Amino acid sequence: MIAELGHLLAFLALATAASQSVLGLTTGGEAVRRLAVATGMFTLLSMLTLVISFVTLDFSVALVARNSHSLKPIIYRIAGAWGNHEGSMLLWCLIMSGYGAAGALFMRGDRLRDRALGVQGLLTTASLVYLLIASSPFIRLDNPPLDGGGMNPLLQDPAVALHPPFLYTGYVGMSFVFSIAAAGLINGKIDREWAGRVRPWALTAWSALTIGITLGAIWAYYELGWGGWWFWDPVENASFMPWLVGAALVHSLILTEKRGSMAAWTVFLAVLAFCLSLLGTFLVRSGVMTSVHAFATDPERGIILLIGLALTGGMALALYAWRAPKLMAGPEFDPVSREGALILNNLFLSVGAALVLVGTVTPMFAQALNISLSIGEPYFQLTFAPMMAVLLLFMPLAQASTWRRTDLAPLLKRFWPAAVLAVVVAIGAVVISGKSAWVIPGVLVGVWVVAGVAMDLAKRVGPGGIGRVFRLPLTVWGMAIAHIGMGLFVIGATTEAAARTERTFPMHQGEQAEMAGWTFRFDGVSSAEGPNYLTTRADITVTHDGRTEVIHPEKRYYPVAGSGTTEAAIRKTPGGDVYVVLGDPIREEPGVWRIRIAHHPLIDWVFGGAGLIAIGGFMALAARLRRRAPATEQQPAIEPSASGEATAAAGAPA
Amino acid sequence: MIAVLLMAFQLAVDEPLPNPRLEERAQSLMREIRCVVCENEPVSQSTADIAVDMRRAIRTQIGEGKSDDQVRHFFTDKYGQFVSFRPPTEGLGLLLWAFPFALLAGVAAFLGFRAFRSRHRELSPLADDGRNDVSG
Repeated sequence: MIAELGHLLAFLALATAASQSVLGLTTGGEAVRRLAVATGMFTLLSMLTLVISFVTLDFSVALVARNSHSLKPIIYRIAGAWGNHEGSMLLWCLIMSGYGAAGALFMRGDRLRDRALGVQGLLTTASLVYLLIASSPFIRLDNPPLDGGGMNPLLQDPAVALHPPFLYTGYVGMSFVFSIAAAGLINGKIDREWAGRVRPWALTAWSALTIGITLGAIWAYYELGWGGWWFWDPVENASFMPWLVGAALVHSLILTEKRGSMAAWTVFLAVLAFCLSLLGTFLVRSGVMTSVHAFATDPERGIILLIGLALTGGMALALYAWRAPKLMAGPEFDPVSREGALILNNLFLSVGAALVLVGTVTPMFAQALNISLSIGEPYFQLTFAPMMAVLLLFMPLAQASTWRRTDLAPLLKRFWPAAVLAVVVAIGAVVISGKSAWVIPGVLVGVWVVAGVAMDLAKRVGPGGIGRVFRLPLTVWGMAIAHIGMGLFVIGATTEAAARTERTFPMHQGEQAEMAGWTFRFDGVSSAEGPNYLTTRADITVTHDGRTEVIHPEKRYYPVAGSGTTEAAIRKTPGGDVYVVLGDPIREEPGVWRIRIAHHPLIDWVFGGAGLIAIGGFMALAARLRRRAPATEQQPAIEPSASGEATAAAGAPA
Repeated sequence: MIAVLLMAFQLAVDEPLPNPRLEERAQSLMREIRCVVCENEPVSQSTADIAVDMRRAIRTQIGEGKSDDQVRHFFTDKYGQFVSFRPPTEGLGLLLWAFPFALLAGVAAFLGFRAFRSRHRELSPLADDGRNDVSG
């Protein structure tokens, strides 16, 4: 019964979503609001029925039979509901309609809201039609099996159970940003008020996307068994492109909201972010590429997604081409100003997104043309990384700049200690670690950013003492924390990439190996049984700084799925992780196993930095929500050049 | 010559090169050569037998004093350009390397030109409202 109920609820959601889009784009009014909330409720309940089917192991539901198993722990039974194509499509619909419902509840009722809900209804309708026709999760089996087919064991992991909800809140969330942009274009009103109303949604989606991507990277780091957290894999790039455009968007929205400038560009980014989300979904789900992350692929779905992408993108661009030329420029400003800095940010981030796009799709075209070509880490490290490094050099200056016009000379003078510190630390890092000079640019830029942002923060606090720290506006904190996170991330990522060491030792019982000052003694392997897997566990005695402990890297085999995973044994040290993987036994030499030992310096800075970026984004969102003025129709005046929030520094000459 | 060959034989599975500089070069090559039986993995990360062989081949050749490019060519000649995560720096591959910087420079030049033109004009007093309302 429960699956039929879910099916029915999805149809009800389809009906309300369709009415929501028709009413929203025509008459508007209170009914649109109620319909949007209803659509959200129906999809939520529909998702719940699917989760119940998974938890109660209703194997008469085809999807449950294929993807669950009685031996699976409860949390993965729940996560199993979206750990497959059909279920993740329902999650997609849920998040899309959820944004619609949230918009209905939180946005002020006017034409912009109604039309945004209308467009969102249209997107939700299309998604639900696709769900119900091409990938229904509610299909029953005539002859239910006694037990299920299990789940890809790689996905049986806490980080990856949470990864899809966050990732989707991110890039499906861009759909609502898209909808408000489309609504603004239909209304012909892309102004400061519009930007102010898009911003919380863009911040929500972008921050959630940051968390989603980070969870994916953490999962790849410890679960795939080679200790890599980012490999410029097409699937990773697919989520990174909307992230980059989203990052550009949350910055250009500031410019448009505060100054009324760059409206046409901002709305273009708002449209583009969701188009890239769709493109990413197409790349991941259609099977046009191979990747360690690509689960649930099917060429036929690809065609449908491609049509959806073409329709959505085409219509949005047509709308844009119709309205954008009529949008007026904002007030004038000097190139050296906060406006200029934000434009610089957008220039680099959007060229970066174009770079990632070309680097991702070119090998696919090459393959179609039978040209042998791969594009991977070395390419992005030599193009994307230096480009972003240059951008980050401007970050502290941009943060301290003033609207309209900024005097560069006093700024440069002010930040010299940060520059000196950066140079000293970078040289010190090479000397102390004895590692390649490749760490220099990254550490230099990272330290410069962290120190520069901290100095700017100190300047804003002023000499008034600790008490004033808490009086800084939340937006300033959000910005500073996100920027410091970026700096820490860059330090971590470059150090990890340049100074990580990895070695594979063929070891027999009792043999010792040494690495990074640690001693490892291989004490053999034993077999054990987990809830739904068999495991080969190695006993490795590690000694470091006089302490001894036994660690257990594992190789798990999941008989139901017929595949296995490697479970690395990871030990944290202040300087980084020691990472031990049990490899395969060597065929020609019985009793000898390959043990991979790696040292990943500053790896926590990578994930911690990314986490801070997301926290900064959420703080900016919180500031935005708190500051929200009581519903007024008129626009606030353009902030004066030396507004308190933007610049605690000296006022700019007007 | 014989000494070199002997050394190559003595290199056991994943035995690092004695010279740390050479080992570092070898490791960075291992990160850009693709394991030919895996899905989108470099040989540095794979535990497949062939990846072990490929790692050994890289170390042997670096140990013999070959340049990074010679090692890359060894693999691309054998398996095609597909085996290298680093696109070629000749022919059309050059376009791939140049386009991001060209795009950045192009747009920056355009923006810079516009900024330069307006630079010498005085900023007008702030004006506001009604801006960008083109709904009529």
